[in-house]
Amino acid sequence: MGTSQVRVRSSTREADAPSTGRRRRQDHPATFLVPALVVLVVFYFVPTVLNFVYAFTDWSSFKSAINYVGADNFISLFSNGTLLSDLRTTLIFAILVAIFQNLFGLVLALLLEKDTRVNRAARVAFFIPVMMSALAVGYIFQALLKPDGALNAILGFVSGHAVSTAWLGSTTWTIVVVSLIQAWKWMGLAMLIYLAGLKTISEDVLEAARLDGANWWETLRRIRLPLLAPAVTFNVATALLGSMNGFDTVQASTKGGPGGTTELLNIFIFRTFGQGLFAQATTMSLALFVMVALLAFPVIRVLRRREEVL
Amino acid sequence: MKNSWKSAAVLAAAAALVLSGCSNPDSGSSTSGSTPWAAENTSLKGVNLTIWGGNGASAQMEGVVSGFEKLTGATVKIVAIPDPYEQNIQTKVATGDKPDLAFWQPTASMLTAINAKTNLQSLDGAPWVSKYSGNFKDITGLLDNTRYAALITTPAVEGVYYNKDLFTKAGITTTPKNWNEFIADARILKAQGITPFFEMGGDRWATQWWVQVQLADAAKAGLWDKVNNNTEKFTDPTILNAIKTYQSLINEGLFNADIKTATLADQAAAMLNDKAAMVLQVNNFFNTMQATATTDVLNSKVGFFPISPTGNVGTFIPDQTNALVAFKTGDAKREAAARQLLSYMLGGGYADFVNAVHTVSLETTVPTPSSVPDALTAVAASLADSVGSMQALAVANPDLYINLADMIQGTKTPEQVAQTTQDQFAQLAKAQGVKGF
Amino acid sequence: MSIFESPARSGHQRAVRRLAQPAATIGLVAILLGVPFWLVIVTASKNQAEALNPNLALPSHWQLFQNFAEVLNQGRMVPAFFGSLLILVPSVAGVLILGSMAAWVFGRRAGKRVAAGYALAISGIVLPPAVVMIVLLLKEIGLEGTPLGMIGVYMGMYLSTVIFFVTGFVRTIPRELEEAARVDGASPARVFFSVILPLLGPTLATATILISLFIWNDVFYALFVIGGRLDTLPLNLYQVASAGLYLNNWQSIFAYIILMTLPLLVVFMVMQRRIISGITSGAVK
Repeated sequence: MGTSQVRVRSSTREADAPSTGRRRRQDHPATFLVPALVVLVVFYFVPTVLNFVYAFTDWSSFKSAINYVGADNFISLFSNGTLLSDLRTTLIFAILVAIFQNLFGLVLALLLEKDTRVNRAARVAFFIPVMMSALAVGYIFQALLKPDGALNAILGFVSGHAVSTAWLGSTTWTIVVVSLIQAWKWMGLAMLIYLAGLKTISEDVLEAARLDGANWWETLRRIRLPLLAPAVTFNVATALLGSMNGFDTVQASTKGGPGGTTELLNIFIFRTFGQGLFAQATTMSLALFVMVALLAFPVIRVLRRREEVL
Repeated sequence: MKNSWKSAAVLAAAAALVLSGCSNPDSGSSTSGSTPWAAENTSLKGVNLTIWGGNGASAQMEGVVSGFEKLTGATVKIVAIPDPYEQNIQTKVATGDKPDLAFWQPTASMLTAINAKTNLQSLDGAPWVSKYSGNFKDITGLLDNTRYAALITTPAVEGVYYNKDLFTKAGITTTPKNWNEFIADARILKAQGITPFFEMGGDRWATQWWVQVQLADAAKAGLWDKVNNNTEKFTDPTILNAIKTYQSLINEGLFNADIKTATLADQAAAMLNDKAAMVLQVNNFFNTMQATATTDVLNSKVGFFPISPTGNVGTFIPDQTNALVAFKTGDAKREAAARQLLSYMLGGGYADFVNAVHTVSLETTVPTPSSVPDALTAVAASLADSVGSMQALAVANPDLYINLADMIQGTKTPEQVAQTTQDQFAQLAKAQGVKGF
Repeated sequence: MSIFESPARSGHQRAVRRLAQPAATIGLVAILLGVPFWLVIVTASKNQAEALNPNLALPSHWQLFQNFAEVLNQGRMVPAFFGSLLILVPSVAGVLILGSMAAWVFGRRAGKRVAAGYALAISGIVLPPAVVMIVLLLKEIGLEGTPLGMIGVYMGMYLSTVIFFVTGFVRTIPRELEEAARVDGASPARVFFSVILPLLGPTLATATILISLFIWNDVFYALFVIGGRLDTLPLNLYQVASAGLYLNNWQSIFAYIILMTLPLLVVFMVMQRRIISGITSGAVK
């Protein structure tokens, strides 16, 4: 009997049978949605929509009047090479972070799943970077990764000759280094989510598989990983989307350097806003929003569908 | 699905209609008319003032603030605004949040950036303007002939700080009198195994001085006026050649080996530890050295000379710590109190301020304390025949230093630096409504 | 069963396997976490001159608690702590309750309109709101600079995350439990508060930690919404960091960061038992 035929008890089907439609709707009244929607509309939708409206004006810090300028900002934005190259940098960063963060988080979760004292302490330790402010993380790694910093000192000690690599100074590889820093900061969170997911997997299922002779690796691949689907969805989606909007750690460690090779779009937007070009900055955030939305919804659909396959 | 989209579209359209007749949200109500300057000790009991400043502002202002509070009974709070300083302040002002006073770069381009006409009080007719010595009252703080910024410390000057010991060791007995001698001296130092120049490619902001001092003669001849009305561009030979020269000096090996990653702290340490002979920098660099070395050490080790293509003309660049601006908050009492604080600071409180902060005095009646190192006094003296920098004379402030730093990292050529800077400049000028863009 | 528990042939092999996991764990912790944390602690224990260039060297003279006292004073950390708490608690409570109420409906009901509503509700995780617009809006409704306004802003920002997260877990709660309560005559509100909410315990505990750490460390939005009017821990960090006249005071910055992270650490240590151990007993059976 293949383990892939084991079905999970909890129901994930959502379609309601039409004949009981009315009764079901009353059981989960729409009024429960209202408070959340009110807060979202007032504190999120209205400011966001207004912000995008300003993208079609010439709002700046230099003068008081605001005039409609149509699509001017968009045209000049796309003919400027910086937008496209920053979009590419942001995408690369987001994908790298999603991969690293989830890989590390999963490995940690698998390593620390038993509730031993060492494991419990280690879990707390790995969560500390998550709790530290991004600014702090940026400062720390700046100090560690300097040419005369701690990492090179350790490498030099281990290898026997002096090492003075400028980890944050490479125009090709620093983007990978900052992705690793971001993953370092957040892997504790991914670990936590995966741990929660691992714990929800019913012991009966695993026992059955073990009785069939499956070893640790096979139970992992065929039962546990598929059942971790909701956790994977959440972790990958938030890592990807969170990094698309990433700013803090990178700003704190490289400020978009060296040579602009780690300039995430948000860093560019912030710089433009700071020069007083408010409308142009707004145009850029609209462009970023569209790109993230184009990325987000397909990704979430694919991941949610994976969840429902079972 | 359709319903939500429809309502969103309606909302957006409504907002657009509303906005088309709307003015900038941060336009404050202006208290126009003549601004009476109250006596310094007028009672201000119950008045609360806020001052926004960057790094070190509270240390700089605490003496003045406590003196003023004692004298007038006002309460003054100094709030530190995190970096990036100017961006955060502009954003806060855009949301309608204004302080009573703030540290602000007094150049015309930065005063435009904060929309001085709408947001700042005019300081014309202030009783302390006549106290300034030399040309201090004319070189900065003004926009369209209206004074908006009160200069409180000497404007920074872009010039060369040099290690006297290393010069002596290399046999250089007099400081260079023009650019060619400057480079010749650098080559002499290099031949003796001494690093001639130290640049902070990591922290980036000082890279622009190398281009700007080469433009000193052109600036005196009106270069920036031409750039301001688009008859000269960054990509034209004058500025482009200055960028190319900088690149060729780096390629020749006249700079520190770790130029790509060096920081301000590294730069200061290099000068103090005899690791580099010359640094082209502004006052801030010297202040950083002051934090770790005594005045005596600095006097014996570090000297200053300005440099320009054909002489020793300094390029001045007032920075954010040099001046205070007073905002129009709509509260007449607080606005008057803010002006009163400026009167006190540049009046009765100035001597104490200058002594507490160990800085050169701007006023004829207040002497510079002897604790001020010689180099800083030399810097202040060079202001007399100095010429304005890009920040001081151009209508807008593109990110020249970032583009130059990219060039140091190898991701931009000099031509690209010039082009990117020109594009940024044009964009900012256009947003300001400058003619010709 | 973990990789380290497969049956081994000899006692020696078994002992090695038993020790392998803790050894690997401790090794990883030391490399990945030990080095950075050591840097922080050591720098926070130095005086300014030594701390100028943060490195792994030991301080010549340990003054960790002295630095703590200094930043507690200089950064007005006690009022800032209460300021942060004042904002954090209502924001988290609000976002959890409103979010799970909405997630319950999204998780159970189907249909095009519900799906569209869900898409809209989670669109908040795609893009953070524009700060300038938010402040202008708060001015319009009179909440500018108030703690209530800040709470509203944070709720608007994080509701989407909570809804996204909780909806997935709502679907794992068996409908039979709800049915049983309904058959007994419970109203939807009763079903929600007495059946669903308790079962979401571990999920909500995880969400609490998640949202708390975003809000606790947020400096960007706080700066523009309540900066200068209310003391919070991240805002006051800048007061401390800018106290040095021309040089950085890393020892103060890192000391402040240690103190600032401690409350979150405590919350996590308390909550983590609920999440990890609690999930196995009762959430899904």
